[in-house]
Amino acid sequence: MENLFVFITTIRWQDFVDICVNSYILFRFYVLFRGTNVFRVLIGMTVLWFLQRIAISLGLIVTSWVVQGIVAVGAIIIIVVFRNEIRRVLQAKNLKSVLWGFSYKSAITPTEIIADSVFEMAQRKCGALIVFPGKEDLSDVVRGGVPWRGLITKEMITSIFWPDNPVHDGAAIVTGDQIRVVGAILPLSERDDLASYYGTRHRAALGLAETTDALVIVVSEERGDILVAKGSRLQEIKLKRTLEEKIQEHVGTAAVKKGAVKRERLEITAAALLSIVFITGIWFSVSRGQDTLVSLDIPVDYINRKPGTEIFDTSVKSVSLVLSGSGALVKSITPDQVGVRLDLSKAVVGPNSLSITSENISLPPGIILREVTPNEVGVLIDETIKKELPVQIDWAGKLPAQLILVDSVTDPETVEVVGGKRLLEKIVTIYTEKVLLDNLKGKGELTASIVLNPASLAIAPGSKDKVTIQYLIRNRE
Amino acid sequence: MMKHRLYRIFGAVIVMLTFLFLPLHLLKYIDSAHAARLSLSRGLMCEDIDANAPRNPTLVFSISQKKALCFTEFDEVPQKAVIYHNWYHRDVPSAKIRLTLNPPRWSTYSSIQLRRTDIGPWRVEITDEKGNVLGVLRFSVTD
Repeated sequence: MENLFVFITTIRWQDFVDICVNSYILFRFYVLFRGTNVFRVLIGMTVLWFLQRIAISLGLIVTSWVVQGIVAVGAIIIIVVFRNEIRRVLQAKNLKSVLWGFSYKSAITPTEIIADSVFEMAQRKCGALIVFPGKEDLSDVVRGGVPWRGLITKEMITSIFWPDNPVHDGAAIVTGDQIRVVGAILPLSERDDLASYYGTRHRAALGLAETTDALVIVVSEERGDILVAKGSRLQEIKLKRTLEEKIQEHVGTAAVKKGAVKRERLEITAAALLSIVFITGIWFSVSRGQDTLVSLDIPVDYINRKPGTEIFDTSVKSVSLVLSGSGALVKSITPDQVGVRLDLSKAVVGPNSLSITSENISLPPGIILREVTPNEVGVLIDETIKKELPVQIDWAGKLPAQLILVDSVTDPETVEVVGGKRLLEKIVTIYTEKVLLDNLKGKGELTASIVLNPASLAIAPGSKDKVTIQYLIRNRE
Repeated sequence: MMKHRLYRIFGAVIVMLTFLFLPLHLLKYIDSAHAARLSLSRGLMCEDIDANAPRNPTLVFSISQKKALCFTEFDEVPQKAVIYHNWYHRDVPSAKIRLTLNPPRWSTYSSIQLRRTDIGPWRVEITDEKGNVLGVLRFSVTD
């Protein structure tokens, strides 16, 4: 119970936002891609990902590698193979519909009107080709066609296939209660076992049915018979009722005509809830998993040092932190995400002992501190003073054998340096950078910077950080 | 006669009391005053000594020269005294050489052998027996 309370108190508002945003993204993916092949492949990929995790946890090294490879390659394949489907989903809808809209498949195909129209056209021996797409995308298979988007009526259907209509030879594609496209060209079946009286229209119907999950109704212009193509089967329909049932069975409105919208809403609500549950599960496993431990050496930062003081020495430069979290989070930790900061606002001049608590340590979300070594740091605070030090030139290099440096003068001869009292007590000389002798001869002047060592020293305001050197070189006796 | 004897005894007591109660710290000043009288008239770094005189005064010694010498000359040496040549390599003490001065004037020198590890800036502090700095000489050892 106590653990539960601790756990609840550690949840931040960012975590809620994290879960909500990702649940919504997942939910929108479902809404946009449901019913398409992309969605089914995505589910397959998710299953593969879970299999990979299981393989890893069971220690099946090669299996996990193989599955990981399949998932990685599969992600690229999805984008390449289903580029048209993805483009259609993203392009056909505006931003609002991508982010918010719901396309209820509420439009019920008026099977009775279609069946009536088909039988009337058959009676008149008016050829027709009507396509009812299944769940597969037809855009890669069907060529040409004229966008129509007209509501289905008996007059509309018969007029499309009227012999004088320019699009009557093509197929009409029906989605919901609309004729979406007319004059579409379907792939022809290459089967050689078809009856000889079957014409191009029959081969086109069978060609599409063989390659996709669409249902195609074909009305023969010569014989006036009605056939339904589904899969590799071409079935003759004699009764209007049978045709209606075939269409209803295919479009999925046979049993749920009345409650279709309600069922659709229920399905979307369930999808939304499942998205939340799924993402929450992933979030917990990623951010609250405590299965991995890591030890990091983190340098200690000292903050809020009082003016006029400086750190002379510390017992440690870095501390060792043992952190735990889920494998994914622990692997993603970089040293710059972890910080140890000690507040020196209450430290006094002289030795101080400061405890390191969790308040002094900043960690990425989801990472828990297990241990700090050492948990106490000794800090020797020094008073800042100014000290005037003589400048000495740090000559380097070599003069030619016959020459010697007989004199050199620096201007200024001394500089004022600011630093810790204990430190400056030990320093009696300040040196210039290395000044090369190699190219010097005769008499001359040059400038050199002053080297501050250790780096905590600073040149006092008003003092120069460079010196001018006058030198005199003569021949050796 | 008796009176003279009393004067002498009284005088001796006064002298004894003076030495007994003279604050010891004043002796230090007496000593310092004595040390302060040592006057460094010349101090320089050189490559060699020739007939008690420095040869090739320089501020840079190549390690190929094998040695560096510190020459010091004192004009006023009131009595036999001791000085030190304290050699520092980058502020780290390297050698402390004890030298004796004899009145009335004296010159002396010390030297160190140069090795590759000696490259860098050096200084020689000339101090008296009490550690008072009489002069500082700076030089460098290079390749």
